[in-house]
Amino acid sequence: MSAAKNIPSRRAEWLLTLPSLGWLAVFFVAPALIVFLLAFKTADATGGVSAGWTLDNLRALADPQYRPILWRTFWISGTTTLICLVIALPVSFAMARAAPRWRNFLLLLIIIPFWTNFLIRVFAWKTLLQSDGLVSQLLDATRLFDESPTLLYNSGAVLLIMVYTQLPFAILPLYAAAERFDFTLMDAARDLGASGFRAFRSVFIPGISRGLGAAALIVFVATIGMYVVPDIVGGTDSEMIGNKIAQRAQGDRNLPLASALAAALLFCVLLLLILCSSAFRRSEKLDNALKGELQA
Amino acid sequence: MKQLLVLLTLFTTGAFAADTLHVFTWADYINPDLVKQFEKKHQCKVAIDTFDSNEAMYARLKAGASGYDLIFPSSYIITLMVQQDMLQPLDHAQLSNLKNVEFEVLGKLADSAMKHSVPYTFGYAVIAYRKDKVKDIEPSWKTFARTDLKKRVTLLNDMRETIGAALKSLGYSLNTRDDKQLAAARDVLIAWKKNIAKFDNEGYKAGVDSGEFNLVHGYSGDLWQVMQTNKKVGVIIPNEGVSASCDEMVIPKGAPNPALAHQLINFLLDGKASAENMQNIGYLCPNSAGLKLVEKEFLNNPAVTIPADVKAKSEVIQDLGDDLKKYTKVWDEVKAG
Repeated sequence: MSAAKNIPSRRAEWLLTLPSLGWLAVFFVAPALIVFLLAFKTADATGGVSAGWTLDNLRALADPQYRPILWRTFWISGTTTLICLVIALPVSFAMARAAPRWRNFLLLLIIIPFWTNFLIRVFAWKTLLQSDGLVSQLLDATRLFDESPTLLYNSGAVLLIMVYTQLPFAILPLYAAAERFDFTLMDAARDLGASGFRAFRSVFIPGISRGLGAAALIVFVATIGMYVVPDIVGGTDSEMIGNKIAQRAQGDRNLPLASALAAALLFCVLLLLILCSSAFRRSEKLDNALKGELQA
Repeated sequence: MKQLLVLLTLFTTGAFAADTLHVFTWADYINPDLVKQFEKKHQCKVAIDTFDSNEAMYARLKAGASGYDLIFPSSYIITLMVQQDMLQPLDHAQLSNLKNVEFEVLGKLADSAMKHSVPYTFGYAVIAYRKDKVKDIEPSWKTFARTDLKKRVTLLNDMRETIGAALKSLGYSLNTRDDKQLAAARDVLIAWKKNIAKFDNEGYKAGVDSGEFNLVHGYSGDLWQVMQTNKKVGVIIPNEGVSASCDEMVIPKGAPNPALAHQLINFLLDGKASAENMQNIGYLCPNSAGLKLVEKEFLNNPAVTIPADVKAKSEVIQDLGDDLKKYTKVWDEVKAG
């Protein structure tokens, strides 16, 4: 490709991305900057923000009271991500291998829950799991327990409903990657003597690694800041960092401290994104190098 | 493009053409029949938006939420809102029914001249329980220390109310600024926390009704509403004293429709409307004309009129200014504990 031809296409590329960049700047970068700035302000007792600047809010983050909440937040989001991937992998594999007619139908089934409001779906789970709900009645019928166990208001319930709400976000990018995957590679592996599971593990999974990375990232980032699910189905031991931020902003009237917590969360997510994108780039380089070697 | 603009202006002006009164209040806090009557009488629409704690309402306004015409906060936060210059002074010339407001209640409030706020209801934070599941209940906050209720218990997710209940159980004031008393309340709450399912402000009503919860900490009128349809639910008034609160009607600065807001205040202060309202929402309206019209049975309900000796030990939650931090610290320790 000649250099002269490259320049106008570059300009066109910029012009095309400008609307989305503008969108990002107004609705993401600007609010994030406001949050960062507020984190360095002092709060007054009336819920306002005073004029001075301070580092106290950042220092307050080191307070040991946040440690169990942070630990729980990472534990719940990490486990949710892992479970979602473990379920989504075989699902996306099966979907990509299904006949085209079935494929669209299955895709529709994954997407249909989005037609209902997120909150309503969470409340529906609450109805299912509550003490006189369907699941409890079924458990009672098995007579395994003297008295049906409390299913709601604990971290297990939070985890279950997080997995439920995030699963489509894991399946969709994995399916997109699996659809582009060249399944003849798996046949080749089988021909060379690999078992079905071995071919899945050593050929399919590395083949869709980027989809896997994207799915993990989307689910983790969406769950780490979750507020609604622990608020509705969580109990006294399932508070996550999102709930703490809400408490700081509302009950405590301390917007700067809420901002410091939110900024710390944002910082963690950004760090994760940078690490992932550099890992992607490294694998891309490796791919190109390999291709070059093969061609030579 | 021009046609599109014309179309857009038509739509937007259309939406604002009919008078809409934007009310910001607690859930189930106004008789829907009265709202319909008012809409018909004044040819307007009443849009109701709800909040579940004074703090949430305050934070929302402080963050710049506007467009509300009439808000129903509790008196302690009104003190703060007046300090912050968030409220309009009321025009008494438009409020002919102000004479109905009970004199006795006004004496206990910061704004006794009703410069910015008019008392709407008087209620308490009390306990409700399932008569079919909880036996030998004592009228005491210490009920939350009972370990035999299988965690089917809730406490309010409200820092001041819940720490207040623990302070009361120890015989202290719920507006205390004493660190030792607050530390003792914290320990009580950490012990209670082991027996509860969650801290909750809204789900307890349906929960005690369906039998999901056996014992709940909640607001008297809300629990009265549940008792009307469910005979298995009873109310106890802790004899250590309870938190009493007066919710009042205020008009925020910048309200789009202050004239109509005054009309609604006046409408709700009417004796007949007030009586109808009380018997629908379950909160006592401090309205002398309304109290004359209301049924005796309503006034005898334990969730409406509490015993005189408990009333004497009850307190109204006050704004503590900078010392609110002490409560925040206790609340953090309870949640983490």
